[in-house]
Amino acid sequence: MVKVYSINDCPWCEKVKKYLKSKNVEFEEHNIEENDVDRDACYELTGDTMVPITTVNDKDYVLSFDKARLDEMLGL
Amino acid sequence: MGIYDFVVKTNKGVEKSLADYKGKVLVIVNTASKCGFTPQFKELQDLYMKYKGQGLEILGFPCNQFAEQEPGSNSEVQEFCRLNYGVTFQIFEKGDVRGETAQPLFKYLIEQQGFKGFDASHPIAAKLTEALQQNFPEYLEGDSIKWNFTKFLVDRDGKVVARFEPTFAPAEMAAEIEKLL
Repeated sequence: MVKVYSINDCPWCEKVKKYLKSKNVEFEEHNIEENDVDRDACYELTGDTMVPITTVNDKDYVLSFDKARLDEMLGL
Repeated sequence: MGIYDFVVKTNKGVEKSLADYKGKVLVIVNTASKCGFTPQFKELQDLYMKYKGQGLEILGFPCNQFAEQEPGSNSEVQEFCRLNYGVTFQIFEKGDVRGETAQPLFKYLIEQQGFKGFDASHPIAAKLTEALQQNFPEYLEGDSIKWNFTKFLVDRDGKVVARFEPTFAPAEMAAEIEKLL
């Protein structure tokens, strides 16, 4: 399952989610501002607390709304 | 009414009395609420790390009454956000800082330290004044908060001793802070 790590009031997070929806990619949203477990998982994955982070396998991830890299990772 | 009589809410919705900060030197700042290019967050965090052991606390109050950015930033887009803006000092609930709807704390702060103008020689001052004249002319009137990153310095006795406009870089506040520590 594709995961998107986000925070509140984050325009780039909204863009990523909207884009994934437009491409019919199913994803789970994990808000790291509201959930400390998600925050720690995001930190473990990326070594920082920057969002949006999109990951397919909890190993490879894309930071920010980077369409080209998202397409590549998701095989779009 | 003094600074320690105010009760505010943290970004997690928990009530916090400013009396908890008695005896500390405080920097109270209204911050941008969105994720833009904001070096003032970085400079504030640097001040916090440097002086927190000596009794400095920084209290950040996000507000979306201004555009998303700090003054002077324009095309330098950062396309991501950081949890808590990448800072470890306390961030409070988003709220208004100017006008009728301003949080009581900010009404108090501007009464204690009014607006004394931007440093006209600062390159950002001209840009900020121009942007305000164009978009929010009424913001230029009176002692109100003019833009994101207006910084109030409070001494260990709770007295609001200085106000630094958005055009004043946090790093340059170090000397004033050191005097109070």
